[in-house]
Amino acid sequence: MRAQPSALTRGLALAAGLVLALAACSSSGGGGSSDKGSSAGLSSCNTQGKANTCNSAATKSGGTFTYVLEKNIQQWNVQDTNGNTFENAEALEVVLPQVFVPLPDFTVALNKDLVTSATQTGTSPQTLVYKINPKAVWNDGTPVTADDFVYYWRTNDGKDCPPPPASDSTQTKGCLPQSTAGYDRIKSVTGSDGGRTVTVVMAKPFSDWKQLFGAGYPLYPAHIAEKLSGAKAGDAAHMTAAQMTQGWQYFQKNPPTKYPTAGPYKMTQWVDNDHATFEPDPKWWGATKPSLQRLIFKVISDATQEPIALRNNEVQAIYPQPEVDLVNQVKSIPNVTYNIGNGLQWEHFDLNLHNPVLGKYTALRQAMFTAISIKDIMSKTVAQFDPSVKQLGNHNYVPGQAGYQDLVTATGQGSGDLTKAKKYLTDARFTGVGTALKTPDGQAVGPFNCRYTTGNQIRQSECQILQSDLANLGVKVTIKPIGAADLGTVLAGHQYDIIVFAWVASPFPTANAQQNWVTGGGGNYGGYSDKQVDSLIAQAVGTTDQSKAAALLNQADKIMVDAAYVLPLYQKPTFLAVQTRFVNMRNNSTNVGPPYNTAEWGLKK
Amino acid sequence: MLAYTVRRILVSIPVLIASTFIVFLVVVNAGDPVANFATSRQPPPSKAAVAAFARHIHADEPAVQRYWNWITGVLHGDWGPSVQPNLDIGHDLFTRFRVTLTLVAAAMLIALVLAVIFGVFSAIRQYTAADYTITFFGFLFLAMPVFWFAVLLKQAGIWFNEQTGSQFLGTIGEKSPYLEVDTTWNQFTDRIGHLALPTITLALVSFASWTRYTRASMLEVLNSDYVRLARAKGLRRRTVMVRHALRTALIPLATVTALDIAIILGGAVITETIFQWHGMGEMLVESAATVDVYRTMAWLLLSAVVVIGFNLLADLLYAVLDPRIRYD
Repeated sequence: MRAQPSALTRGLALAAGLVLALAACSSSGGGGSSDKGSSAGLSSCNTQGKANTCNSAATKSGGTFTYVLEKNIQQWNVQDTNGNTFENAEALEVVLPQVFVPLPDFTVALNKDLVTSATQTGTSPQTLVYKINPKAVWNDGTPVTADDFVYYWRTNDGKDCPPPPASDSTQTKGCLPQSTAGYDRIKSVTGSDGGRTVTVVMAKPFSDWKQLFGAGYPLYPAHIAEKLSGAKAGDAAHMTAAQMTQGWQYFQKNPPTKYPTAGPYKMTQWVDNDHATFEPDPKWWGATKPSLQRLIFKVISDATQEPIALRNNEVQAIYPQPEVDLVNQVKSIPNVTYNIGNGLQWEHFDLNLHNPVLGKYTALRQAMFTAISIKDIMSKTVAQFDPSVKQLGNHNYVPGQAGYQDLVTATGQGSGDLTKAKKYLTDARFTGVGTALKTPDGQAVGPFNCRYTTGNQIRQSECQILQSDLANLGVKVTIKPIGAADLGTVLAGHQYDIIVFAWVASPFPTANAQQNWVTGGGGNYGGYSDKQVDSLIAQAVGTTDQSKAAALLNQADKIMVDAAYVLPLYQKPTFLAVQTRFVNMRNNSTNVGPPYNTAEWGLKK
Repeated sequence: MLAYTVRRILVSIPVLIASTFIVFLVVVNAGDPVANFATSRQPPPSKAAVAAFARHIHADEPAVQRYWNWITGVLHGDWGPSVQPNLDIGHDLFTRFRVTLTLVAAAMLIALVLAVIFGVFSAIRQYTAADYTITFFGFLFLAMPVFWFAVLLKQAGIWFNEQTGSQFLGTIGEKSPYLEVDTTWNQFTDRIGHLALPTITLALVSFASWTRYTRASMLEVLNSDYVRLARAKGLRRRTVMVRHALRTALIPLATVTALDIAIILGGAVITETIFQWHGMGEMLVESAATVDVYRTMAWLLLSAVVVIGFNLLADLLYAVLDPRIRYD
């Protein structure tokens, strides 16, 4: 997840905005801008069905292209909890292969350069067969084989390479995968056909099987792990935990400049906290050969400086969180095309069910959610630069995903319908509705606090609007910012009544659902618990049919919406801006980001 | 003088211990990095990962014990674990100090030279048009917020690049990423192009306050009896100004500049952020934002040593500038 801008960066943004407003008065510049969500080359990206193909054109060879990373990369094992960052995924997908790749329209595509086919050949037991592309090879000449898949599985299943024991003071003797989901259900991974066919047999079925061996978490070269740990070559199936740990750590500490990779580019240089340089890999066998002479990922940790660097041609593409000033600055830069898309991150209000009053009265929660006007919230915040933003109606899917159903708006939650909200309360025999609300047994309701991360203007406004909406019901709300470093403490310690923050949805929603909504789940901070929801989500995870999984998740979500625990507000907009002389970059809002197709990037012919 | 220096250094040791201890306790209680780790990722880290993280950063040990382990570790070159993975705090600290030093050195030198020249000139020509002009600009630069001025300079830099059709001035970082393979001359001009804007930013701000000090102190000296006597003796104007007046006038400036430079070496936070120089300022901001105890302490230790060092240097400079002062 991305860090929120600090007060300092806000100040800088404001200053930058002022300066540019002054500059705009004297200049006649600014081409290709429009009031819609995009411009020029990226203009068709928001059109239905164009997300994966917009801004396409033939390329000519040559050119250096610099893309911005917003954070330094300190840990290079993206499969590891600590290395699981957006920037790491962006940099590694350029050089390491993965089976399924998330696309801008939130679907996934089979990476045919790596595997010619990936199919579910049986459901009882669930069996998956991957045919590795016969040309697929690590750039030291070693072929990509089933052994790489075996190594991946055994390091990520949480059992064969267990977490470091408490006695290990350095906490380095073990593997801590970012998620064991799916891998912990695998019974066996075997190679045949000279290691070019991989057969995966599941012990328990797993609906999101396309997530395995990819989806932002690529394969590492098993033969390197085997070599440096002294294990037998090509025999990842018999590596010991200690040997796997050695490989796991090697990939944590070393950037891919140090070991063989298998992508369209190879990383030729990594300068810590500054940049990564990629050059086309002569060993690349894939269908699309990179046309750029050089690709650079430059670290710029202050988003407000990105438009200036873009204007000065120090970088050619930026992917910051959009804000009014920033979008306006980019609009004034000539020969730059941009796109405001709907991201996978979604903003929401959470109620803390550990609060005795909030936890006890469903009617109160329903009334509160109904009294909140999401339309007001959007028009005073994100709609200022993204007029197309809409209320989100689901806790697991976003529009565009096959499973999306609007389950929220029909209930009236987020409508700001005061009459309906008040009816919930009077029906449940609350007193003092509209003045000073009391529970049926005479207990005062509130005051509640609404908490947001300090310096985040948008969230502050969201709390303010909620405050005035709930005052209409007779509920008093105090607004209490959270210190920049304290969000974790507040969430884990349940130190809130109402809180506003964002989740990241995924092309594979069952794992998220399990974390966030199931009783005792790692992300279920507000303490929601419903046996039926738990069971429906467990079934969704364990089915082999994705459309059935979606139906089950939506069934669970319906129950959750009625319980009024989390109110989804809207999808957070994403913002990609690229110089028009380069083509084939697209706004991929998933966990892999715009670099999902770097092989295609290039100078316009 | 040597005995004095040694004595001063010895006295600074308890100061360092006390200040680091107090700050250590403050930082340890400033937030909960373990809770941040547990909630900052999606999917949330497993319980085993959270426990491993807590053990790795010694979050489960009492603060006093952590302080003792830290300070004894530092003496052996072990700066402790960071909340950031794979971060060697010692390496980070000195790399960043070098970056800040590069950024600050030229700026401070330019600011100092200009401040003395303009300050003296302004004092000699008190209440003339020149004095008013220098005073006006002095106050203008003093009043200008750095974050605003720096962004304005960046726009000017881009305008310059557009007018000349070049890519000479850089707005981000120390150098362009792809010049490693280019000629030495190009690398040199690239460095200068990246240094220019942040150097001007830093220099003008320091210049503004230092020139006011120089002017005030010079005016005071010019009106003193011994300068009048020197003039009455018939000494040349230049000799009176440089040898008698200026030397004395520089004494207060030595204190001010030494302390200013020491503080700015701890990080020119805003300038570093805007120009994306990964120096000491960014280190402090990052460490504080992530409740990174050992990294904050490393920053504090080096900054404290620099402040103490420059303070000592200022005191020693007194002796050079003022013959009446002797340290025995």
